Amino acid sequence: MSDGAQKWLERFRLFRGRHKSSSGAVTEAEAPLGESSGLNFIMGYVRRDKIALAGTIGIAIFVMWSVIQGILEQLSGYLNDTTLAYILLPSNPFAFNFKLVLAPPSLANFPVGLMGYDATGRSILSRILYAAPKDALAAILVVTSAIVIGMLLGITAGYIGGWADEVLMRVTDAFLAFPLILLAIALALVLGNGYQVVLVALVVIWWPTYARFFRAQALSLKNRGYVEASRLSGLSSFRIIIRHIFPNSIDPIVAIATLDFGNVVLTYSVLAFLGIGAEVGSPEWGSMSASGLQYVPHVWWFALFPSIAIMAVVVCFSLLGDRIQDLVGGRISY
Amino acid sequence: MASRFLFFVVRRGVNALVTIIIMIALIFMIIHLVAPSPTDMARLYVGSHFNLQQLVQIAHRLGFDQPLYVQFYNYVVGFFQGNFGTDTIYGIPEILVIQEYFPVTIDMVLIGTFLGVGLGIFTGAIAASNRNTAPDYGIKALYLGTWAAPPFLVGVVLQLILAYDLGLLPTTGVADPILLHPAVVTGLPLVDSILAQNWVYLYSYIQHLILPALTIGLISFGSITRLTRATMVDALDKDYVKLAYMKGLPRRKVIWGTAFRNAIIPIITLLAITFAFSVGGAVVVEDVFAYHGIGFFAVTAAYDLDYPAILAITIIVGASVIVANFIADILYGVMDPRVRLT
Repeated sequence: MSDGAQKWLERFRLFRGRHKSSSGAVTEAEAPLGESSGLNFIMGYVRRDKIALAGTIGIAIFVMWSVIQGILEQLSGYLNDTTLAYILLPSNPFAFNFKLVLAPPSLANFPVGLMGYDATGRSILSRILYAAPKDALAAILVVTSAIVIGMLLGITAGYIGGWADEVLMRVTDAFLAFPLILLAIALALVLGNGYQVVLVALVVIWWPTYARFFRAQALSLKNRGYVEASRLSGLSSFRIIIRHIFPNSIDPIVAIATLDFGNVVLTYSVLAFLGIGAEVGSPEWGSMSASGLQYVPHVWWFALFPSIAIMAVVVCFSLLGDRIQDLVGGRISY
Repeated sequence: MASRFLFFVVRRGVNALVTIIIMIALIFMIIHLVAPSPTDMARLYVGSHFNLQQLVQIAHRLGFDQPLYVQFYNYVVGFFQGNFGTDTIYGIPEILVIQEYFPVTIDMVLIGTFLGVGLGIFTGAIAASNRNTAPDYGIKALYLGTWAAPPFLVGVVLQLILAYDLGLLPTTGVADPILLHPAVVTGLPLVDSILAQNWVYLYSYIQHLILPALTIGLISFGSITRLTRATMVDALDKDYVKLAYMKGLPRRKVIWGTAFRNAIIPIITLLAITFAFSVGGAVVVEDVFAYHGIGFFAVTAAYDLDYPAILAITIIVGASVIVANFIADILYGVMDPRVRLT
């Protein structure tokens, strides 16, 4: 093992020690604060790891583009000025051009035709770029709401235990047993179709995993020395959960959440592929692939490029998430 | 020990039962939120071509004017008797429709899951024993690709290459449509055609089965590979593996005989999750291959707003996942005696 690696491993042990040791207060003093705090440590590691770095850059591009384009799309709605939504795009993603129906990718009229044209001659590249904010928003909203709900129920179940645990876990099991896609279809069916409904359906199917996870964390943490000490010193359960259980169980969640951002994008696209939550006329990666499939095998670009966009985003999140999981789980492989 | 194991089985069985009932309650709640009044319920079941008086009659006939707890009781009892109400499109009991579609999916998902698990364990073991070399990275790239790709992309690529370009396999469908379905005994076409010794149908059925099952296997093997690799890496560092090397066993025997056998036990817990994931994935895969299983039916039902069908499918598939979990729990207890049976 190289010197550099040794140094990082030591730092990593320090980082783990601060969070996981039974006497948190003592090691807190040993670890120089700020320098090896969770996020800084992860970012420091990511900067050295080429694969994770590639994933991070991909995610950064996806998120930044989504934020800018999303703001423009919202603004254009408020200001009633449609051109604003297309200002950064190669072309208007809704403009038909019947001369270019299903035209193959070409360098002519760069970059509009880079990914070819769809069945009504609209630029596929523009439509992919236009649809990105939806996926980003879905990923962020669904994962954060699932974490909040899962945390509330999971920590309650794990920390209080007894009947509360039994009841909450049976309900969680019931939700976990539903196959994701079927439950989402059922919910979209009863709540009505639309983007918001799909987000609700995704949250409904996503929170149980986090509830399980936070429960396991709370169970393992509640008998630690420092939790018992604070209980003896008269801290209320609520404050113990806020001060001790929650901060100490959030680290492993980071890895799972990173992987889940990708999974939400994937599941969202699958739902859109099946025609759930897709609004007529509004481009969406999954529904674009679905309509493109009708023209396979002769017109491969229509279905392929939206699918590749989904895949690229998911791969980026998995690359980073895998690395974070290795770090948090203590399996660094140099 | 035996009584402890029995207690474990009973406890898990009761848990599974309670979970199924809660699941039914959820579905029951959803449907009553959509249709709060008896006539609304009746309209859900028979469509909107009736006037109010007729709807009241229908609601009375189907029992929707009874108190909610009576309806819920009937619903739960009905579930365990295999009665899920009447299909709104076909006008026959839901269970008959599901009996038609579900076995096809079970065949496909089970074979797909086994393909995925086999592939995952194999690639995971290879990746772990060649840690940080080309095969490891190659396997990682492969599973990241199939895992991150939307299921429909994997299906379509396979369909393009194996069916359209090479012409090795049929593109869509469950079996050659000119062939007669063998007599229903178990419901599973695979078993039925063997029982009826209908080899022509069996051949055609298997031919059609390969592509969807392979797709299911490919989209689900990544998580198995990851777990196998992780547990194998841990196992390869253990003392008993070093001992095996010191005894002079060849590398191949140490990896596959010693480390591998100890590393695959945790995979069992993942089996049920993989099964659940595959059933979800089946919805998309069946859509791509026009494979007339439960997923295909679910999508059609969703488009037709066939509420009883979609709710019945959700409950049945959910229940089968719970049963799979239950079996996995027990298997784990049997395979690994160190597991605390609680």
